[in-house]
Amino acid sequence: MALHHVRDVIRPLTLEEAWQRKLEHGPAARFLGGGIDVVLYAPPTVSTLIDLEGLDLSGVREDASWISIGAMTTMTEAIESATLGRYASGFLVRVLKAVASPLQRNLATFGGTLGSAHPWSDVIPALLVLEAELAIYDGSERTVALGTYLDERKAGESPVIRAIRLPKGSESARGAFASFTRTGFDVPLLNVTCLAVVGEGAWKDVRIAIGGTPGLAKRRRDVEEELVGRPIRVEGIAAAARSAADAIDARDDVRASAGYRRRLARALVERCLLEIVEGGAE
Amino acid sequence: MTITLTINGTTRELSAGAGETLLEVLRREGFTGVKTGCGTGDCGACAVLMNGRAVNSCLVLAAKADGGEIVTVEGLADGDRLHPLQEAFLDEGAVQCGYCTPGMLISAADLLSRKPSPTEEEIKEALSGNLCRCTGYTKQIRAVERAAERMRGGDDE
Repeated sequence: MALHHVRDVIRPLTLEEAWQRKLEHGPAARFLGGGIDVVLYAPPTVSTLIDLEGLDLSGVREDASWISIGAMTTMTEAIESATLGRYASGFLVRVLKAVASPLQRNLATFGGTLGSAHPWSDVIPALLVLEAELAIYDGSERTVALGTYLDERKAGESPVIRAIRLPKGSESARGAFASFTRTGFDVPLLNVTCLAVVGEGAWKDVRIAIGGTPGLAKRRRDVEEELVGRPIRVEGIAAAARSAADAIDARDDVRASAGYRRRLARALVERCLLEIVEGGAE
Repeated sequence: MTITLTINGTTRELSAGAGETLLEVLRREGFTGVKTGCGTGDCGACAVLMNGRAVNSCLVLAAKADGGEIVTVEGLADGDRLHPLQEAFLDEGAVQCGYCTPGMLISAADLLSRKPSPTEEEIKEALSGNLCRCTGYTKQIRAVERAAERMRGGDDE
């Protein structure tokens, strides 16, 4: 449905201009990526949209240390990227293929996903375990760890997101994710994403992110530390899953109770870690 | 605001509200094959090709489509000759109430433009954003398979 409160769409051609326009309009302005979030959720106080299409922020690039996904890159473009198909054994691509529908993935951008940062996002936990950082512009160009960006963001004060940067070095990592929804199109009641390096019968590196608690996804470093360096055992996985259930900030909301979310966290962490150990994630 | 859209091969300058969706503009211009369904990107009845990719036009601001190429279901046929997908949907009886059909055809057209020989799984995935409340999807899947075969020039029987 038409957003009758939107009166103007601005199309800046430089980062500086985009940021300047945001400063001028304040919370009444929203940056526009693919536009899904704006169409569905922009509050009636938003009257100006700043379309970032003219800033040349699309595409996946790589150098010796990083893979950079431009903020205007769609989920479909990322899925079709040969570079991302190879990265972390195609883990991110597998996650993206499970998100929403092809029709929506042809519109949804990484910048839009991170600008809106919904707690139920299935993409954000995957980027957290991949230790992504954001290239942003808020008067100057800088990078910020994704976790820091999520912790520090304030409603209506988004910087210009230029790109999502993924560090190389996860080639031997295996990933698994589980997103529990009531129907195929509903947002998850909870999601769990794990990435691990295993070798010589032990956990060499483990990263776990849990989202939709119903709060925003967070890394569970306390649980990760329980596993790293330990031999791989079913009992250890079960114990880590119990710890994860205790550790999350589970709350009641319209979708599920806190208690149900803890049970989900336990089941899904166990499922993901077992999948990694069994090599089901290739 | 004024936007320029190439709709089914014809370039037009159109007036659109800053907060209007592509769906609303297309229907106002007479492209009523683009159906209004859920309005939240869940049902796919409003699907169109935008720059070659199938999208929910209810989730696209008209301003975002400015300068783009749009194909609606009205643009699939070549004059009086139906698109092979439309022929196959008729032959397979893949239509009941018909409300989801334009969106299904658009998603299938996107798929076949990139994958001339899709597997059944790929067809299911490509149609996964198009809800049909009448059928069990089997006939649409068969229709896409049949259309793919015809478009490759093969015998479909």
